[in-house]
Amino acid sequence: MECYSLKQSDVPALIDHLGAYGEVIAPHRKGDVSYSFEPVKDSEKVVLEYNRTLLPLKKCFLPPTEKLMDFSLKDMSYKPTEVPIKPAVYFGIHSYEMQSILRLDHSMLSGKAESNYFNRRKKSRFIGVSFSPDEYHFSESVGISIEEMEGFDLYLNKVSDDYQLYIISDKGKDLLKGFDKLIQAEPIHVEGREFNKKIRYHYNRLPRVFQYAYHSKVWAEVAERCVGCGSCNLTCPTCFCFDVNDQVEVTAEDGMRRRSWDSCMLSTFAEVAGGENFREHTLNRTRHRLYRKFKYITDEEGLPWCVGCGRCTAFCPADISMVDIINDLIREDEKAQFHKTVRV
Amino acid sequence: MKPKVAFFDFTSCEGCQLNKLNLENDLLDILKHVEIVEFREAMDDKADAYDIAFIEGSISSPSCVERIHDIRRRSKILVALGSCAVNGGVNAMKNLQPIDEVRETVYGEDKYLFATLPAMSVSSIVKVDYEVRGCPMTQQDFLKLLVSLVLGKQAPRYDSPVCVECKLSENECLYNRGMVCLGPITRGGCDAICPSFGQFCTGCRGLLDEPNYIGMLEVMTNHGISLDEAKKRMLLFNSNEVQL
Repeated sequence: MECYSLKQSDVPALIDHLGAYGEVIAPHRKGDVSYSFEPVKDSEKVVLEYNRTLLPLKKCFLPPTEKLMDFSLKDMSYKPTEVPIKPAVYFGIHSYEMQSILRLDHSMLSGKAESNYFNRRKKSRFIGVSFSPDEYHFSESVGISIEEMEGFDLYLNKVSDDYQLYIISDKGKDLLKGFDKLIQAEPIHVEGREFNKKIRYHYNRLPRVFQYAYHSKVWAEVAERCVGCGSCNLTCPTCFCFDVNDQVEVTAEDGMRRRSWDSCMLSTFAEVAGGENFREHTLNRTRHRLYRKFKYITDEEGLPWCVGCGRCTAFCPADISMVDIINDLIREDEKAQFHKTVRV
Repeated sequence: MKPKVAFFDFTSCEGCQLNKLNLENDLLDILKHVEIVEFREAMDDKADAYDIAFIEGSISSPSCVERIHDIRRRSKILVALGSCAVNGGVNAMKNLQPIDEVRETVYGEDKYLFATLPAMSVSSIVKVDYEVRGCPMTQQDFLKLLVSLVLGKQAPRYDSPVCVECKLSENECLYNRGMVCLGPITRGGCDAICPSFGQFCTGCRGLLDEPNYIGMLEVMTNHGISLDEAKKRMLLFNSNEVQL
């Protein structure tokens, strides 16, 4: 793998250079203490040291709300929205975020590909950046290290005050053509970037824990504190559920069909015609959320469908922690195992 | 024939009616679909029967009860408009105090001249077919409902919390900015308009079905306000709904 050193002061020049390929989307400051991915207008405003953005990068490929079609009630015709294939560079992406896009690819593109997602994804390039884990990141526990480079075309590793730039793919190499601020370098291993939050078991032991956790008391304990706002799902980078609804204009002639992100933590998510609700209580819904991340899809794909970004925990008004729930389940499981052993 | 539509006000500030007159860009389109036959805030005419009656305000006196029964009898569809009509709204705060004290504060020694009842939602007296929530009622909701009724379709019902629309707009959570917000348990559909402009949610659209009251009070007190203050905030628009 080719490795170059890049001065911190040359990062804006790199961003400007990448702009020749297509629109550059990168993390920016938002509000008092937050960040969000925005199109770059001024490369000096890009923030490369950030903990996490409010919404995941998913929003660029599966927008929070998007129009699927326009329709007319006059002649009962419709016109699907066409999503153009545009080149874009996603700059300053953390490893777990990249992994979430790869998981979304699986959800949206395997089998019959979802065309809107496919078009947005087709000419995308990803430039990763290292990060210092805060009190919520736990991606190492789900098998994603800070320097995991799968999916990236280029990767920036922060080394003391400057960066080391790794060329990972041919596409990445093409992006750098004509950029002359790089100096060949030996890769340096960065020490001391430790995760503070950890799941106690290796992730490949979790499906077994979940196999016996369905009737655990932990779910009721969580449900007591959960206010059901749905923030955990709505900020999750691997959740892909959406709701579709039609909206007719005041003229009562034309309208549009839109889809918006949905959340299985909302009480109406599993409600069906006639008023029956398959997951009526918060307890059922919390359990379902975690099973979707660590059991159902994991059983099929062999990977946890959680990438450890920590958003569900960081943005929970009730301070409910995904890692704490799992560690509680593990503790309960160990206790049950112990009791079994003693009896034998 | 265009459906005959009427607007009525009960105990309220009439802000919801005013809010409709503010729909300047859409008013002409609306009038293409409906015939307004009674609207005290905007015109003098009166009619005998209505296809759709929009009711603003809460029911708070024996005469209100009589009048709402009368309107219901003459209406095919009845819609509660705005927070007061939907659940009693801010008016219902009076229900938290002894009724005699309330009457004395308002009317002094003439209190026996004015009969009064606890402030109630329209649906606690007559059947309500649809509701448009908010204080004042959300204009977009009103338009959506009107279009659905004109097209003869079931009106959409929004029953997700305010947090959903707030998250979809990628707003920074007001809890992260040191505020205490009722968004998590308040019924959305308002495009999270208050949080989007930096004002915490006060719960004007009513609460979700079966909200986690204890959990919400815990969230609020953990973010720096007293239990007493937290309860007061919850009750502001929802005195008739909150069960503590």
